[in-house]
Amino acid sequence: MKTLIITGASQGIGRATAVEMSNREDIGNIALVARNEKNLEETKALMNPKCNVMVVPHDMTDLEGIEKIVDKIYKEFKSIDLLINGAGFVNPTALLDTTIENFTQTFTVNTVSMLVMIKACVRYMKGKDAKILNIASTAGSTSRPGWVAYASAKAGVISLSKTLADELRDYKIKVYCISPGRCATELRRILAPEEDPTTIMQPEDVAKIISNLLEEEENCLDGQDIIVRQK
Amino acid sequence: MSVGMVILAGGVGKRMHQKTPKQFLLLGGKPIIIHVLENIEKVDEIEKVVICSPKEHIEQMKQLIFNHNIQKNIICVEGGKTRQESTYIGVKNLKGCDSIIVHEAVRPFVSDKEFKSMINSKEENAIYGIDIPFTVLEGSEYIEKNLERNKLINVQLPQKFNGEKLLLAHEKADKEGKHFTEDASLFYHYYPDDKIKIMEGSLYNIKITTPVDLISCEQIYKEYIVGRK
Repeated sequence: MKTLIITGASQGIGRATAVEMSNREDIGNIALVARNEKNLEETKALMNPKCNVMVVPHDMTDLEGIEKIVDKIYKEFKSIDLLINGAGFVNPTALLDTTIENFTQTFTVNTVSMLVMIKACVRYMKGKDAKILNIASTAGSTSRPGWVAYASAKAGVISLSKTLADELRDYKIKVYCISPGRCATELRRILAPEEDPTTIMQPEDVAKIISNLLEEEENCLDGQDIIVRQK
Repeated sequence: MSVGMVILAGGVGKRMHQKTPKQFLLLGGKPIIIHVLENIEKVDEIEKVVICSPKEHIEQMKQLIFNHNIQKNIICVEGGKTRQESTYIGVKNLKGCDSIIVHEAVRPFVSDKEFKSMINSKEENAIYGIDIPFTVLEGSEYIEKNLERNKLINVQLPQKFNGEKLLLAHEKADKEGKHFTEDASLFYHYYPDDKIKIMEGSLYNIKITTPVDLISCEQIYKEYIVGRK
């Protein structure tokens, strides 16, 4: 049985993916990582009870602590086979209004913590047909005035995913990157508060695509920026 | 039968025109020495590995082994002033091993299968070697002698020797002040009656010595090595 770690599992695409993945026969253990323990418990309650679920409250800006939580998960489940990096943060501001603090926090949560998470997991994944899926955004490859920190942090996610797909190929680790377009998440509400969430793509739609990519049979779509957008 | 391995990692980067020793340069995104260690990691027959490194790079080597989570019994020791001295130090650290494999940190493409094939061969002493595809003549300023290339061999590493005899050969060479460029010549000098099998080597088994080698190896890695299991 496989072990899966999901960051950003307390809401949005992370939560929907946790629920979707818990229904899969090949997944026995799921570790849910996010800041808010109460929300993680809510996610757990929505999941298929056949899975062993470990709730791991962690603030992804605490980079030093990431290795410790990965070690803890590995000790509990004895393997790490799948990693979904979904933790995200956004605080849109115009360039002249933004602060170093905002820029740093946006990059830390969206990009740097992802890199640290991958580094910690790869030590356990080497040579074991593992898969990593990073959630970027269409904002990472198109111009978004007013979202400079978020858009450039997501561009970093796309780039690191492509690079690591090549670098980790020899370890039999596949690295995927999806870039959802408009999706009815809490994060989207910050970016587009006036939008009617019922008219756009739902987190469950993205979760199904993530699950398909993390099937063993999927063998061709790693190392590319996969746009997930409802027309 | 106990098998130990010496890895020579004495490079200081002179011929690569780099400040970083060549064993630490990146190939396909990871240090060259890590390619070697990841292949050795899969060879259960090897019980102990001794890496001979310049003193100033021992800590860096240990850190890389930790970072890449290499699961093998490895010790890092300070090498000698010459390649031969370093091998001797490595071999002394493997005293008691029935068989010793000597390898270099800058030959990243020797697969676990090739190591296993050498270790499990019935021959007590063996090297990998390939034919020489070009003409070789003897001379310095003027040609002095023709050599028959079909009688010559391009010597590669790894090489395997009887552990006890390799140690004795090095002790003798050290006492007599004799110098050899690699261990098959040294072993043959002291044990001419002991057979050293030449196993068929590989064109991919490149020793990374110059910047051009690294460029070639990047391409070979992408085209032939990744996914080779």
